[in-house]
Amino acid sequence: MTAAQALLEVRNLYKTFGGVHAVEDVSFAVDSGETIAIVGDNGAGKSTVVKMISGAYRRDAGEILWQGKPADIAHPDDARRLGIETMYQDLALVPDLDAPGNVFLGNEPYRRVLGVLPVLDRPTMRARTADLLERVRIALPSMDRPVRQLSGGQRQATAIARFLLSDQARLIIMDEPTAALGVQEQRKVLDLIHTLAEQNITIMVISHNLEHVFDVTDRIIVLRAGRVEGVVRTAEVGKQDVVSLIMGGGRA
Amino acid sequence: MSTVDLSKGSASSNRTLEMLNGVNPLIFVILALFVGIALLSDRFLAIDNQLNIARQAAVFLIIAIGQTFVISSRGIDLSVGSAVGLVGCVMGFLIQADVPVPIAILLGVGLGMLIGLVNGLVITKLQVNPLIATLGMLVALRGATHLFMGDEVVVRLPDTIRFLGQGFVFGVPMAAIIAAIVAILGAWLFYHTRFGRYSLSIGSNEGAVGLVGVSVDRQKILIYMFQGACVGLAAAVLIGRLNGASPTLGLNYELHIIAGVVLGGTALYGGVGTILGTVLGILTIGIVENGMVLIGADFHVQRVLIGVLLVSAVAYQGYRRRRLDRAASTGRKR
Repeated sequence: MTAAQALLEVRNLYKTFGGVHAVEDVSFAVDSGETIAIVGDNGAGKSTVVKMISGAYRRDAGEILWQGKPADIAHPDDARRLGIETMYQDLALVPDLDAPGNVFLGNEPYRRVLGVLPVLDRPTMRARTADLLERVRIALPSMDRPVRQLSGGQRQATAIARFLLSDQARLIIMDEPTAALGVQEQRKVLDLIHTLAEQNITIMVISHNLEHVFDVTDRIIVLRAGRVEGVVRTAEVGKQDVVSLIMGGGRA
Repeated sequence: MSTVDLSKGSASSNRTLEMLNGVNPLIFVILALFVGIALLSDRFLAIDNQLNIARQAAVFLIIAIGQTFVISSRGIDLSVGSAVGLVGCVMGFLIQADVPVPIAILLGVGLGMLIGLVNGLVITKLQVNPLIATLGMLVALRGATHLFMGDEVVVRLPDTIRFLGQGFVFGVPMAAIIAAIVAILGAWLFYHTRFGRYSLSIGSNEGAVGLVGVSVDRQKILIYMFQGACVGLAAAVLIGRLNGASPTLGLNYELHIIAGVVLGGTALYGGVGTILGTVLGILTIGIVENGMVLIGADFHVQRVLIGVLLVSAVAYQGYRRRRLDRAASTGRKR
C-alpha cells in the first residue's frame, strides 16, 4: 500500500451485525490529497467501512490511524473533530433554509442591533457562504432561496461549503454523490470533486458508477463480501479489471 | 415572481417580498371582510368595535405566537386551551388568596412552562406523538382544573389584573398592547435567533439539525416551554378581561388558535412559519366572528365560514408551494 505517514489508515477492521460478518479484516491507507473510491457489490461492506470511519458505527475490532496516531472514533463528533466530514445521501440539509442558513447551521454568528439586541448576523453568513461557494466554483441563482428549490449540484455544493466553513476538513467522505442526479448535474458534482482535490482535500467516494469513479479517483479500493478484494491505481487498470474484482472472478 | 432575478437584490427586500408573497391572500381576505361587513353593518367600522376585536383577539394571539413555533417544528400543542384554563384558575385562586398580582402572574407563567416541560419530555424522551401527548394533556388538565376548583369560581379580581384585560393606554386596549409586544418578541425570536431558526429547521429536517450538533430534544422541550410561557401570560390577560375564572375557562381555544396559525400560513408539515401570518390569521377569525354577530347571522354560519376559509387557505398554500418549487427546479432531474 502506501508509505509511512498516511492521512488515514485502517487496520484489520471487523464489524458484525447479529452474527453476520459485514466487514472482515479490512485494511487500507489513504494519502493526503488523494481521491479514493470504495466500490463493491451491494452488501460488500462499503457503507459499513465508511461508517466506522465517520463514527456512525463503532468497530468491533481493528485500528484506525489518523496521521499516524491511533484515533478512537466512537461518534460522528469524534470524526469531525479530526477533520473527517461525511456527506450523506440526503446531504443533511434543511430544505426550508437558504444556503447561508445551511452552511452556518449550528454555528450561526450573532451581531448586535443598537448595541444591545442580538440578532443573527445574516450579512456575515451570506458573505462567507459566497466565498466558500466561489471556492468550489458553484454559483447559486439566489442566496435567499430555500435549498429545496436548488438543483442537486447546487445543494451538494452547499453541503460541501458547510464542511469548508471551519477550515478543519481534511477528509470528505461522499456516499453515492452522483446517484439520483441528472446527467448535467452529475457532471457538476464530478467537477466539484476535481475542484476539491485541487485544493488538497482528501476525498473518499462510495459509488456504483464506475465511469464516475474512473473520472475522479486516484485509487480504487474494491470490497467483496466484507473483505478487500483489491486496491488498484485508477490510471493502471481498465473498468473491466475492476468489474471482475467486484464480481470476485479472476478473469477479466 | 419566478421570472424576477433575485440574485442581485438585497436580502431584506427579498425576504419582505417573500413574506408579502406569503401573506398577501389573507390581507385581501381581511380587506374583503372589512368592506363586506361594513356594508352590512354600520357599527362594524366604529373605533370601539375595532378595538373590541383587537381586545378579543389578544388572548388568542399571545398563545398563537407560541403555537407558531410549535407547528413550525412539526409539532402541535392541543393542550393550550386546557392549560390556559388551569393556569387562569390557579392564578385567580392565588390572587383571591391575597398573593400579590405580579407574583401570581409569575407563578402562573411558571406553571405554564412546567406544563410545556412535561409535554416536551413526553414527546422527546417517551417519544409519544405530539398530537397524542398534548391530547392527553388537554383531557388531563381539564380534569385537573375541575378537581382544583370543585364547585368554586373566582370572581371580582383586583384592578391591577383587570387592567391587563380591560384597561386602556392612550385609548388602546392594554390586552392588545401586550399581544403586540408578544408578537414583536416572537418575530425577533423566530427570524433573528437560533431558537427560531432551529424550531423551523427541526420541522424541515430534524435529522440534519441533530447532525450538526444541536440537541433536538432540548430544542423541542424549550419550544413547548415557550408555548407554556405564552399560555401563562395569556391566562393573566384572560382572567383580567373576564374579571374571574371558572373551570371551563379556555374551553376549545386550541381549535381557534391552531386554525389562526394555519390560516396565517404556518405549515402543519413543518419548516414553514410566519409570525405576521399568525397575527393576520387570528385577526381574520376575530373579524369573522365579530362581523357575523353584528350582521345578525346565525352563530353556526360563522363556524361554517371559518371552516371553509381554513381549508381554502391551506389548499392555496399547498398549491403555491408546489408551483414555486416547480418554477425553481426547472432543469433539475428527479
